[in-house]
Amino acid sequence: MTRYIIRRLLQAIPVLIIISVILFALMMNMGDPVASMSGGRSVTRSADRERLTRQLGLDKPIYVQYLYWLVGNDWTKVDLNGDGVPETPGIRKGVLRGDFGTSMTLRRPVVDVIGERLPNTLLLMLAAEIIIILGSLLIGVFSALHQYSAWDNIITTVTFIFYSMPIFFIALISMYLFGVLFKQWGLPYLPTVGMFDPKVGQTTSQVAWHMVLPVLSIALISFAAYSRYVRSTMLEVMNQDYIRTARSKGLQRRDIVYLHALKNASLPIVTVVGLDLPLLLGGAVITERIFAWPGMGRLFLDQLGRSDTPVVMGILMMIAFAVIIFQIITDIAYAWLDPRIRYGT
Amino acid sequence: MYRKRSTYSLFALLIAASFILGACAGGATPTQVQPTAAEATKPPVAEATKPPVAEATKPPAVEPTKPEPTSPPTAAPTTASPSTGGKKVATFLWTQEFDSLNPLYTNMWFSTSTQQLWNCWAWDYDEKNVAHPNLVKEIPTIENGGISKDGKTITMKLRDDIQWSDGTPITAEDFVFTYQMYVDPKNTVATTYPYDKLTGVEAPDKQTVVMKFTDPFAPWEATLWKGLLPAHILKPVFEKDGSLDKAEYNTAPSVGCGPYVFKEWQSGSFARFVTSDNYWLGKPKIDEIFIRFVPDSASVVKALQSGDGDLSAFIPYSDVPTLQKAGIILTTEPSGYNEGWFFLINKGKGHPALVDVRVRQAIAMAVDRDKINQDLFYGLTKTPASYWDAMPFWNNPPIQNYPYDPEGAKKLLDEAGWVVGADGVRAKDGKKLELKYGTTIRDVRQQVQAIVQQELAAVGIKVDLSSYNSDVFFADFAHNGPTYTGQVDIQQWSDAPAFPDPDIHYWLCSEIPSAEKPSGTNSMFLCDPELDALIKLQATQLDVTERQKTIQKINQIFHDKVYWLGLWQDPDVWAYNSKLQNVKFSGVTPFFNIMEWDITQ
Repeated sequence: MTRYIIRRLLQAIPVLIIISVILFALMMNMGDPVASMSGGRSVTRSADRERLTRQLGLDKPIYVQYLYWLVGNDWTKVDLNGDGVPETPGIRKGVLRGDFGTSMTLRRPVVDVIGERLPNTLLLMLAAEIIIILGSLLIGVFSALHQYSAWDNIITTVTFIFYSMPIFFIALISMYLFGVLFKQWGLPYLPTVGMFDPKVGQTTSQVAWHMVLPVLSIALISFAAYSRYVRSTMLEVMNQDYIRTARSKGLQRRDIVYLHALKNASLPIVTVVGLDLPLLLGGAVITERIFAWPGMGRLFLDQLGRSDTPVVMGILMMIAFAVIIFQIITDIAYAWLDPRIRYGT
Repeated sequence: MYRKRSTYSLFALLIAASFILGACAGGATPTQVQPTAAEATKPPVAEATKPPVAEATKPPAVEPTKPEPTSPPTAAPTTASPSTGGKKVATFLWTQEFDSLNPLYTNMWFSTSTQQLWNCWAWDYDEKNVAHPNLVKEIPTIENGGISKDGKTITMKLRDDIQWSDGTPITAEDFVFTYQMYVDPKNTVATTYPYDKLTGVEAPDKQTVVMKFTDPFAPWEATLWKGLLPAHILKPVFEKDGSLDKAEYNTAPSVGCGPYVFKEWQSGSFARFVTSDNYWLGKPKIDEIFIRFVPDSASVVKALQSGDGDLSAFIPYSDVPTLQKAGIILTTEPSGYNEGWFFLINKGKGHPALVDVRVRQAIAMAVDRDKINQDLFYGLTKTPASYWDAMPFWNNPPIQNYPYDPEGAKKLLDEAGWVVGADGVRAKDGKKLELKYGTTIRDVRQQVQAIVQQELAAVGIKVDLSSYNSDVFFADFAHNGPTYTGQVDIQQWSDAPAFPDPDIHYWLCSEIPSAEKPSGTNSMFLCDPELDALIKLQATQLDVTERQKTIQKINQIFHDKVYWLGLWQDPDVWAYNSKLQNVKFSGVTPFFNIMEWDITQ
């Protein structure tokens, strides 16, 4: 197993480099970061465009810009004053030395910019994911054990209604209902935007209340997909011979379902969750925007719209790295759940 | 069996109940305020601060004259507010977060608008967009000797009671330092304009700032000294780091020169400003201002309705009725912006039809722009006839709009030789009259594109629609941006002169983008020598009367040759709840009278 893990980690290096090349090329061709950088509400002046393009290193060929992003430019000199003579030493160390560069629009280190938002996103997304997994397991197991019953039909209908609604619709409706109307009706109401009320401060209760609506919006949509998955895998497992044997041996129904059936049914679910977990880092773009949750999704969207390559590359590479790591973790979890699975042989 | 079924039923009910209980649990925690001693004096008479939303840019009834600057803003009157006590806190909702708070590193409206809170400009602008001295004793003119006769030297005399929030006096050295930081190539500032037009800034004494220009520069008042840097704080930083790019001051300014000081900025969440103890005009009535970042405009509306925010700007017109129903006050303030079309007028680059002024005039008459204003903007805006529509002094006599006259448009197109083909599309010399019409992805622009496509089709002009993200639409020639590589015949966006100054520069021949000039801003690819000369001339005319005549000539050319066609006025739309009092806005320095603002609890 150890050799397997080391082999997978070594394989990840060229994969990450290829991903970074593709993403960098895409980013550099997606827009002009200087376009609205200095003009405010007007178009950037030509003199400012030329100066900023030079100062931000955007006048270099794309492969040179990638090289500087990867290994830094402190080993060379750059021309900052536009006289054609590179006399100023570079200050960038490059990604390989842990320097993801400086945001072109925010003028702050990418690591700091991402670091401020990541915990907020993890808080929101992990809470949503836990609720989705628990709720989906409950709903899926119940539906599988009561296939085609009235409750099964009701649950299926309701979850698919929510599944077919766009996230922004659920988000805005819930905000209007629980935030605006409840307040107008004199009922206890939920806050509409933000992670906490700045007048009160970032307390646990404040953050918890502000999480209710965004988590609810994300969870309601995801219940259907996950619960149907759990339902179908449970149904498949419940019809297996060993389950029939367990029943005929007189085991408790609870033990049959949760000790034998669910454990085997959970293998494919582990795959799905394993694929989902790294994507949590990207945040929920629309949800964060609507609820003004200061997370990675909003940061990604804002900076993508400004063609802020360093920040976008930082976020994408972080997610790519997380996907690779979580895939390895998923494979290890597989081996733990199913003793028949062994690696490294 | 029944017991197992009921167990699962119970689980399902528990999940449902948890969501309902979560929604019905205790509401948002009310603001905790610290009680303060009650004020002893009477509340001020509230000024009328609720102009009708539609009153954006009514032309004045009398001959407009250049507005004269009046006396500087006075200290806040020491009268009590109508509230019963407690800290007064106002919450503003911004749809975009600052990129930086350092005036040199940002031109974002959402950041520069806060500068009247915590920073200071040499002069502020009131609700009529008239300049008032702020840091200076009087605004330099030729008459008061502040501007030399050749127009190349401008001298400012600073007030002697101005100071930073840490008590350090503001002196001419701060101005010199600010200028040096603007022009130093080691600082990646947002813009060096117009400081790159100066040969130097000197401080012969602590209260005198002397600016020297290469040539007379008429737009100086509207473009200089929008924000100041504290030399005593940042000079050591610059000397140590070699640049201000990564200065902590950019995101956490430790000192300021406004009625408020910066307190904190939580990325993605909010920024907070509290009253300054050393502001030379006294203390404002509102103790704290929070600015919360809420990117979605629908969420802003909900937050205003629920009282989670007290004020916001750039409200979509479609939300105006909802907010008015909720008792939110809406007001507009001209800031020079108008939405309009810029035409690609270049024989080699764009469609040959647009080179003919008759075709452009036909387009102006074929689109019912008044109806667009009525239908999409609830009649709250009007069709601007002039690029200087929001500046009556410079649009004098006022330019008249082309009327909506599709038959007249057809006649002009026939005259120009564009004949209707069997498919209903006009053609000439084998070339179809098919134009590319592009803009950004903003919702209302998509709606307008659809309307225009139909109306132009009715007169035989086929229009291909395209929309882009703004960083793509405005990408320069080097980045193959559609606008600056001649791929869009009719370009639509909202823009303004150097408001409140009438200066423009896009139409200069030298700004045409090319491989040699990839950053050029002349997306029209137009070179009109007469226009070019007039644009250059007006920028050097310090005599207001002469400049007015030059601008009027430019205005007339714009109209007669349809170099720009207005679609709708684009003033700043403000929404605030009635708790806020004494509220006025400026199109240049929005919070110019923040000292007088009050909020009832």
